[in-house]
Amino acid sequence: MIGFIILVTFIGIVIVAFSAVIQKKLADSVILLMGVGLGSVVLFFIFKAPDVALTEAVIGSGISSLIFLMALKHLDEKV
Amino acid sequence: MSLKRDLPTSTMSGFALSGILVLTLLNILLQNMPNSIQTAGNELLKLNANEGVANAVTAVVVYFRGFDTLGEIAVLFIASLGLGLMLNSNTKCDIKAESNFMLQTASRLLFPIILLFGIYVMIYGHLSPGGGFQGGVIIASAVLLLLISHKEFEVPHAVIIALETFAGVSYVLIGLVGLLVLDTFLGNFLPHDISQMGLLLSGGIIPLIYIIVGIKVGSEMSMIAQNLIKRSNDV
Amino acid sequence: MFEFLNQPEVIKIIVTIGSMALFFVGLFGLLTRKHIIKIFMSIAIMESSLFLFFIGLTFNTNFIAPILDNTHVNISNMNDPIPHAMILTAIVIGMAVLALGVSFAIEYYKLTGKTNIDEMNEMKH
Repeated sequence: MIGFIILVTFIGIVIVAFSAVIQKKLADSVILLMGVGLGSVVLFFIFKAPDVALTEAVIGSGISSLIFLMALKHLDEKV
Repeated sequence: MSLKRDLPTSTMSGFALSGILVLTLLNILLQNMPNSIQTAGNELLKLNANEGVANAVTAVVVYFRGFDTLGEIAVLFIASLGLGLMLNSNTKCDIKAESNFMLQTASRLLFPIILLFGIYVMIYGHLSPGGGFQGGVIIASAVLLLLISHKEFEVPHAVIIALETFAGVSYVLIGLVGLLVLDTFLGNFLPHDISQMGLLLSGGIIPLIYIIVGIKVGSEMSMIAQNLIKRSNDV
Repeated sequence: MFEFLNQPEVIKIIVTIGSMALFFVGLFGLLTRKHIIKIFMSIAIMESSLFLFFIGLTFNTNFIAPILDNTHVNISNMNDPIPHAMILTAIVIGMAVLALGVSFAIEYYKLTGKTNIDEMNEMKH
C-alpha cells in the first residue's frame, strides 16, 4: 500500500512542476510552486521525518511564496 | 496549432533521452546497496541517551553539530543584510487603498493565536518535533499577516536590532562559557540527568540554545518581509 | 500489484526515478525560459528534488521516527537522524539565497527596466 501511495504522489508532483514551468502568467506558476511544496510535505511524512516536514511546510508555503509574489509586484507584472 | 510553437519539442526530446541514460546508470549503481546500513547514526543514537534529550534530531543539530548551526545563522544574517542594503529607496511608500473590513478583523483575532503557537513549537523543540527554525518562521508569518492587512503597522527598527544582537552575541557567549568550564566549545555544562528525559527542564543547554536560534531566525524573517513590503516607490 | 510495489528494491527505484524526473523538469525550465523570476523558480524546484532524494534513500518500512519516549526506547529500529539535520539547514539556506537573488533582480529592473535575459547585454563588446 505504501509503494502505491509514493508512486501516485511522485507522479502528481512531476505533473504540477511541469505545468508550473510552462505557464504564461507568472502568478499562476507561483501558486503551482506551492503545490510542489505540499506534495513534498506529504512525502516527508510518509518517509517518517517529522522535523523536515514541518520546516518544508512553513518555508515552502509561507516565506517562499511571499518572496516571489513581492518580486512580481516590484517588477510591475500584471498580477 | 499554437501548441507546437509553444513547446520546443527538440529540446524536450533531448532532455528525455539524457534523463533516461542518467536514470539507468543510477539504478545500476544503486542496486548493490544493502537494506540496513550501519552508519554513524546508530552511534549517535546511543550517545544521545546520555544527554537526556527526547528528540534525536534536536540533539544532532544543536549539540553534536552545533558549529554548523552557528555558520548557518551567519549565512542568514548576511542574506538579510544584503537584502536590506539593496532595497533602498528614498520615497516612503503610501498605500492608497484601505484593506477589507473582514481582513482587518480576522487578522487581529488570529495574530495572538499564531504567536502563541509559534512560541509553543519553539520551547518544546527538544521533546517533540519542532524547534527553533520552525517556531521562528511561524512567528514571522504572524507578523507578515499584520503587515498585509494594516497599512500603518510597522515593527520598530530598534526592537529588531536589539533582538538580533542579543541572540547572536549570547550564542557565542554560551559557547565560550562551555569552553571555560568543560574544555570544549559548546560543551554541556548545565545538569542533564537521563532520569529527567521528557520533562521541560532537561537536556542542559540544548533548549536554551534552540530558543536563542528561534529568536534570531524569527526577527530576521520579519525584517526580510518588512523590507520587501514597505520599501517600494508605489504599491 | 500492491505487494509487488511494497518491496524495498522497487521503492528505491520509484524514489530515484521520481526525484530525478523532477530535477530534469527544473533543469528544462532553467535553460529554456526567458523571464528572470521563472529561472529562480526552476532553481527552487531543483533544490526540492534533491531533498526528496536524500531522505528517500534512507527509507525502510519497519523504521519509526527518531524520537525517544516511555514506550519507544529500542534504538535499533529508529530512523537515521543525521540526514534530517543536514536537510533542515539546507532548506533554510536555500530560501535565504533565493531572497538575495530576487533583490538583485529587483534593483536591476529599477536601473534599466529589463526583465528578459536576452536583452541584458551591457557587458558585451
